[in-house]
Amino acid sequence: MNEKRVQSGRYFMMGNVACAEGAIAAGCEFAAGYPITPATEIANTLAERLPKVGGAFFQMEDEISSIAAVIGASWAGKKAMTATSGPGISLMLENIGFAIGVETPCVIVNVQRGAPSTGMPTIGIQGDMVQAKHGSHGDYQIIALCPSSPQEMFDHTVLAFNYAEKYRTPVFVLSDAFVGHMREEVTIPEADRIERVYRKIPAPGTDPLEIKGFLDEDVAPMPIFGQGFKAHVTSSCHDEVGKRNLIDISALDKFIRKLSNKILKHRDEITLVEKDYEGAEVVLVSYGAVARAARAAALRAREEGLPVGTLRLITPWPFPSEEIEKMARTAKQVIVLENNLGQMYPYIKAEAAPFSQVSFLPPRWVGEIHDPEHILTKIREVLR
Amino acid sequence: MSELTHPLHRFIRPTVPHSTFCPGCGDGIVAQSILRAIDELGMDLDDFVFVSGIGCAAWIPSPLFNADVLHTTHGRPIAFAFGIKAGLPDKKVMVVSGDGDLVAIGGNHLIQNARRNADLTVLCINNGIYGMTGGQAAPTTPMGVRTTTTPYGTFENPFEDISAMVIAAGASFVARWTTAHPRELTRSIKKAIQRKGFSFIEVLSQCPVQFGRKAGLSGAVQMIEDYKKRSLLAREAGKLGPEERKGRIVVGELVEMDKPEMFEEVQKMKARAEGGVS
Amino acid sequence: MQIRIYPERCKGVEECGLCLHVCKKQVFKPSEGLNLRGYRPPEIENEKACTACENCMIFCPDFALVVGGKKGKRGGPA
Repeated sequence: MNEKRVQSGRYFMMGNVACAEGAIAAGCEFAAGYPITPATEIANTLAERLPKVGGAFFQMEDEISSIAAVIGASWAGKKAMTATSGPGISLMLENIGFAIGVETPCVIVNVQRGAPSTGMPTIGIQGDMVQAKHGSHGDYQIIALCPSSPQEMFDHTVLAFNYAEKYRTPVFVLSDAFVGHMREEVTIPEADRIERVYRKIPAPGTDPLEIKGFLDEDVAPMPIFGQGFKAHVTSSCHDEVGKRNLIDISALDKFIRKLSNKILKHRDEITLVEKDYEGAEVVLVSYGAVARAARAAALRAREEGLPVGTLRLITPWPFPSEEIEKMARTAKQVIVLENNLGQMYPYIKAEAAPFSQVSFLPPRWVGEIHDPEHILTKIREVLR
Repeated sequence: MSELTHPLHRFIRPTVPHSTFCPGCGDGIVAQSILRAIDELGMDLDDFVFVSGIGCAAWIPSPLFNADVLHTTHGRPIAFAFGIKAGLPDKKVMVVSGDGDLVAIGGNHLIQNARRNADLTVLCINNGIYGMTGGQAAPTTPMGVRTTTTPYGTFENPFEDISAMVIAAGASFVARWTTAHPRELTRSIKKAIQRKGFSFIEVLSQCPVQFGRKAGLSGAVQMIEDYKKRSLLAREAGKLGPEERKGRIVVGELVEMDKPEMFEEVQKMKARAEGGVS
Repeated sequence: MQIRIYPERCKGVEECGLCLHVCKKQVFKPSEGLNLRGYRPPEIENEKACTACENCMIFCPDFALVVGGKKGKRGGPA
């Protein structure tokens, strides 16, 4: 039996399963993880499907070794991923910083759940948004995607792999228990309709002394292992050839800036938003599961003749400051909707406040997707 | 007449003129022992991927060895090595790191991968101290020793025998030597490289500065002589009672056995999956 | 027997001194001067006494000594 990677067709599929299918369609060969609600279905699906297409899933002893093994496999040339929830990300953060520092493509799925601490494993909140950007120590940029449906769990996982390979960086897929566990229609396209990117590597036979495998704002070729490139890949501050420098501040400055600029320079190609705010006075800004409620609220508001629009952040990171500013210039009222106590809100407010009134609306209880009526109440309030 | 050159210099990264080890540090002896093993096997450094954590011993492959080297976060080199081996099954993956890195913060990864009998060679360079950070007590520091974090003497029982713990976890090859035994060490490293399974070699190695000087020892020479004097071959140790073995270092190839190797089992698993058998 | 010392790699007979200690034939002595990094390398005093046991080469932590002339020499390009 030679099973196909891309199981094209229309399905009624759980978000987590769609995520795993997206990874397989994107070319994932190595996955490692640790059981954690509400992400375990991703591991289960990968464990079943990957061996049939030449890959494997490894259940490691903890999340720390999971992300370590993923990074190791990526340096061995494989597309690699892990899936976990907030507590697992907390454990992984040191090694995520390592992946960023040595520019390792990998995909990290966080199916967010009630937090802090053990919290409430089967309830979705958007509690780990800032963690993705600032969780590891030091200054760095990250790419994150926020699916709001099982279809997007498939699509965004494919995209995550492509971004990871293109920009040599970890990429987060920030889902939550609702999107991960809901079942909805998912269409998996034909294999030849799916774009797959693989990292640039030095030409075979390149003299190792000629290879500059790090700190290029336009993404250095990755000197993967096993090809004779003799890469020196170090967690320490290093230069373009991977040589450790623990003394010169100029080297540290370069290390920090080049890594960040690698993402920022290409922000326009990375940023994805869904805009529907033409002519709107009130714009609802949201992402992930909450965007479903935002859209429902906006539709109802328009039926009542209220000038309401939406801006959905598909990539909350790198922070889409231009898109926020553009929107804020045309709106009078910006309402940020998040299923948390305001994580993206301060960033959005900082960008939008010079041009617009900005307010924040959590659900009645953190842990539920907003009731569109609750949003409408707020809309009417700000329009008064 | 051609000038004599050191046979192992060709394995050293061209941009690294000398090591950063303290004078007399045992890590340099271990570095030579590893490269000599590879040389004697007629292998190339490109047959390997080296992985190391944080600490002085981690600087044995990084940046010295002119090979693919991954210098990781503290305690985790074995976990990274797992992923590398999964992706490059035909390469020899060797972890070289210290006792603090592999046994303290990294203890669980050591235990779990010994249990898995994953095909990795792991060298644990045991100097009984956290040297890189200036000489703090390690789980291997003897009781009563003054270190920077135990100024009144350590109060913890140290690990009596790291190798015994790794044997109990399930490793299929375990050896222990000291830097007074570089030739035997090379022999065991060759064996470890050539076999499949989790091969663990503990190497007692002198830290003359952060351990030695602070503990009132006079230097590398004294510390190596002490290793030599206290060492006892495993087959001889069996003949002695516990009182006679006190304070001795039991060296030798302690365990060597055949058992299923994890990555081979993975291949069998894939065959089952592809064949539709669950 | 040929012995070559790489004095700039050496970290000194006072701080290290392993080569002098492991040589059974007292081939070495401390040199008069220091190397560029301030360490005192060894110097060959009695090359004729060398038996090519290779102890000095094997125990040197800094790859700073090589002993040649032993039959069956492996290592280096074949």
